[in-house]
This record gives sequence, structure tokens and C-alpha cells, in this order.
Amino acid sequence: MPKENILFKFIRSLIEKIKIKKHEYIMATIEIVLSALIGFLVAGIVLYVMGYDPGEVFYIMFNYGFNDPEYLCGKAVPLIMTGLAFSIPALAGVFNIGGESQLYWGAFIGLITTYYVTQYTGIGTLGTIIGILAGILAGAAWALLIAVLRVYRGINEVITAIMLNWISYFMIIYLIIKFFTNPVIPHQSIEVPEKASLTPYPGFAIAIVGTLIVYYLLYYTDIGYKMRVSGLSPASAKYAGFDPSKAILSSMIIGGGSAGLGGSLLILAISHNIDTTMSTIYGLGFTGIGVGLLGRNHPIGIIFSALFFAGLLIGGQWVELKTGAPPMLSDAIMGIIVIALSAPYAYRLLMNYLSRLRKR
Amino acid sequence: MIEDIINLLSGTFTSMAPILLAATGEIITEKSGVVNIGLEGIFIISSFTAAVTALYTGDPYLGLLVGIIIGLLSGILHGFISVYLRGDQIIAGVGFNSFAYGISVLGMIALWGSYSNSPPVPKMPNIIIHITENSDLVIPPITITAIVIAVITWFFLEKTKWGLKLRACGEEPKAAEAMGVHVLRTRFLATVVGAGLTGLGGSYLVIGWLGSFIKTISAGRGFIALANVAFSNWNPLMAIVGAIIFGFFDAFSTYLPITLQKITGQQFTAEANLFMTIPYLATVLIVAIIMKKVKTPRALGKPYIKE
Repeated sequence: MPKENILFKFIRSLIEKIKIKKHEYIMATIEIVLSALIGFLVAGIVLYVMGYDPGEVFYIMFNYGFNDPEYLCGKAVPLIMTGLAFSIPALAGVFNIGGESQLYWGAFIGLITTYYVTQYTGIGTLGTIIGILAGILAGAAWALLIAVLRVYRGINEVITAIMLNWISYFMIIYLIIKFFTNPVIPHQSIEVPEKASLTPYPGFAIAIVGTLIVYYLLYYTDIGYKMRVSGLSPASAKYAGFDPSKAILSSMIIGGGSAGLGGSLLILAISHNIDTTMSTIYGLGFTGIGVGLLGRNHPIGIIFSALFFAGLLIGGQWVELKTGAPPMLSDAIMGIIVIALSAPYAYRLLMNYLSRLRKR
Repeated sequence: MIEDIINLLSGTFTSMAPILLAATGEIITEKSGVVNIGLEGIFIISSFTAAVTALYTGDPYLGLLVGIIIGLLSGILHGFISVYLRGDQIIAGVGFNSFAYGISVLGMIALWGSYSNSPPVPKMPNIIIHITENSDLVIPPITITAIVIAVITWFFLEKTKWGLKLRACGEEPKAAEAMGVHVLRTRFLATVVGAGLTGLGGSYLVIGWLGSFIKTISAGRGFIALANVAFSNWNPLMAIVGAIIFGFFDAFSTYLPITLQKITGQQFTAEANLFMTIPYLATVLIVAIIMKKVKTPRALGKPYIKE
């Protein structure tokens, strides 16, 4: 009977945990649900003002956004990884809004390494594996640059990140047009070779494994513990004898590596090339910020919020097809959700007010 | 040679205005203890509304005014969230940037059916000084306004009683409160005023400079303005110098390819993208060199909780 005992124990500890943190979980749920509702409410008003029928738009958004599981999972892959790219550094107290360009480099380096390794060795699997690893390294290195400038030069990571995003944006367009154009289709880069490419489901599976590794790193290892303590209170971290700037560096490496993995998976499993207007890879890092926040900076939460945002993005495309309402609607909704998530104190005020009403 | 210098100077005068206005506004906001990284979003949304107003009324000055009002409204939103709801100021700013971009591009497509730009709108006239036969020095009046505002802001912050009270809110809010300063109200007003100045900078992008709204109108300028705040060490007078430097690199990135094409006679295609990186590279390098010596307001970004 030992197996059952373990299971029983596990469930009991889980119930215990929920009991202790009941209030916290309820507050979190209220915050998430209310923020999303505010987002859709404001978007509905905007749509109405612009002359569209909000009911119809949201019906299409949710009906079509979530009905193709393979497409949904594929769309969620880069969002999970850029969500992590935001959240891991956020736990350590750094604001990584450079997930955008970390994903670019992961995608670009992943693409060319896979292409050349497959071409020279002729082994597709080898190309895939080396491509993924190269993508992770590229993203991590690019993020490390932000962290180094923050730690050793005291530069606000937000400024560096945005500057690096724009630099990368133009650099990659330059590199693709100059050296890596597809000879057949001139507005696209070279393609990932057929035998090295993946389909969306394996890509999704790798993203999930990556997320679980991050989860383990954050909550079950020494590095993760130090990162979380430094994020909550740099002073306590120093008092406990570890250096908060090391936590910043390691969190940015792991975060950037995640974004890089997202980029290489996007190329290998979903788009298979980069177009010269960057529309295949643009904006995923920024959406990742919303994903991370809505997932409450928790790896498991991020998987679900990435699926939610992926559905919104797909739904947005369908809305455009069916009603002509522009797909930027999902940007606007995401922005409002993020703004609404920024003030948890507001919800506490609301709850206090409601409970006072009930007592009266 | 002289023409090149005059062209570059004109370009610098043209592109420094939004960076200076937003940086001055942000200095006021940050000195009171609130950080607003939504400058980029304010640029986008106020340039869009300024374009709409100027186009449909035919009056550029009305466009300018509406842009400022939209800036003030954004400041009210950010101030309310950061000061009274004790929200995370960085997250609110990031959210606002995304919202402003989404809503402006949405509006652009809905109004004009274009995915890239608005129709041309009436512009404000520039001050033009003839230097030689075929080169004029162009100075937008808003640039002069921006410099005047920066000087007034410096005087206000450093030399007046009100400036001292505002700075106290950003350094030691508890002490300020004990002194009888309304910390929350001061911070709120500073945020609104700062956003209003950024709104002026945003509407200038359309009314004073480009003459139409384009999707990438801001292109990171809001963040270059933030870099300028750090560069200036929160001193509006230094922000003028910073705006000249950052504005110069902006002008240089368009001037360089044109001149190189003239000299070498070859047309750039892929390389054009490399020239576009100049302002951003320059910003990172300048801030990296200068940054070690600055002094941030001590209570910056921390919500003040009144007991």
C-alpha cells in the first residue's frame, strides 16, 4: 500500500496548501477575472464607437480562436517562452521587456544553424537539436547584455531593452536581405530544411518541458531560491549572504534563454522562415509581458495564459476576416488587461468595500 | 560643407523637440517620485489624436491642443493608478504603451483604411533663416518653446518653494508629509503635467514635423526621452544638452545614407536598415558611458502609503 499512501499524502498536502493560501488564491482569481473583464469591456466600447457590433466580434473571437487545437498550441509556443522571459527576471526584481529581441535572435540564429548543420551533416535531427541549443544561447547572450549594463553600469533595463529591440529589429532585416534571402521567394529568408523541421505538437511539447525545467529551477533549486529572495527583498538577500546582482544576471540568462528557445521553436515548428518585414516574429515579446503578468509570473500559470492570449490572437485574425475589424484589437485588449493588472491594491479596496457592505 | 552642417543642424533642431519635451515632463514626474514609462504610448496616442483633429478641422493649432489634452488625460490615468491605487508603475506604463499603440492603429485603419499612415494633415510653419544661396536653417517654433519650458522647469524645481516641496515628495515622502506637503496630490499633479508636456511632444511629431500619422511614428523615441532623463541626471538644463545629442544622432541617421549615396553614387537597400540603428546604438553607448555618476530620486517608483 505505500504507493497509495504517497498519493494520499500528496493530495492532503495540496489541500493543506490551498487551505492556508485560500484567501490569496481567491484574490488572485478575482484579479485575473476582473482584469480580463475590464479589458473586454473597454474593447467593446471602442468597437461600438468605431461602428462594429461588439457582441458579434467577441463571439467570433472566442468561437474561432479556440477551435483548432493544433494551431492554438503552435501559436502559444513562443508566447509561453516570452512569458517566461518576462516573469523569471521579474521574480528576481528585473524588468525584462527585451523578450522581443531575445526571441528575434533565437529565431534567427536557430534558423541559420539548423539550415547549415542539416546541409553539412545531412542529419535532420542533429540540425534541429543544435538549432534549438543555438537559439537558447543566442537569447541568453542578448539578455545577459541588458543584465550586465544594469548591474555594472546601473542603466535602467527598460531603456536598454527597448534600444536593443530596435537595433535587433533592423539588424535582422539587414542580415536576411543581405545574406540569407530565399532565392525563390525574395521577401523571405531561407527555409528550415524539411527533415529538420518539427510540427506544432512536438514544438508545444518541448515548450512544456522547458517550462517544467524552469519551474523546477525556480522552486526547487538553490539558484531559484536566491533569485526569488533577491526579487522580494534585495536587502534580505544581502543579509543572508548572497549577492542580488548575481541573481539578476542568472535570472536574465534563464529568461533570455527561454525567449531564445521560443524563437527557435517558432522557426522550427511553426513558421519555418522569417519574412523581411518581420511580421512572423514581431510583437511576440511584448505579448509575452501580458502573458507573464496574467499568469502571475508562475510557470504553470503562464502555460494557461499563453493559450488564452494565443486564442485571442487567432480570434483577432478571424475577426478581421469576417468583419473587417483590424487585428490590433488584441493589442488594445492586452494593454488594458495589463493596466488593470498593475493595481492589485484596487481589488483589495473593492473587496474590503464589498465585505463592509455585506456586514452592514 | 557649410550646407551639410546647416542641414544637420536643422535636422537636430527638428528631432530634439519631442525628446526634450518628454524628458522635461518626465523629470517633473520622477522628481515627485513617480516613474512613467508610458511616454512612448503618450507620443503615439497624442500624435494620432492631433492628426485626426488637424485633418478634420484644418487647424494645426487645434490639433496641438487636443494632443496636449490627451497627454493630460493619460497622465490622469497613470497618476490615479500609481498614486491612489498604489499600482506597479512600470507595469501600468508597459500596459499603456501597448494599449495606445493598439487603439491608435485601430483608429487609423478604421478612419482611413490604411495600415501604414494617415493622409497628410495641415502643419505648423517653421522659422526659416537664409544662410547661403541654397541652404536654409530650419527651426521649428516648438523647439524654442521646449527649450523655454525646460529652463522654466529648472527654475521651478531648483529655485522655488514649490519645486522644493515637489522634490521632497520624491526623496523623503514621509518628511514631506510631516512638513505639510500633500504628497499624494503633488505626485498626481506632477504626473499629469509631465504627461501633458509629453502630449505636446507627441502632437508635434505630426503637426510640426512629419505632417501625417504613421504606424511607427514614435519608434522608441519615448524611451530615448527616458534615457535623456537619466543622462541629464534629472536636471532640465542638462536635458537640453541631451536632447541636442540624441536629436543629432536621429538627424545623422537620415543624413548619412543620403550623403553617402551622393558621394558613392550607389543606391542602398539592405544597408538602409543598418543606418536606422544609429540613434538606438548611440543612446545605449552614451547612457552606458555616463550613467555611473547619476543620482536617482530616492523614493522613485515606490508608492507612498499615507498612515
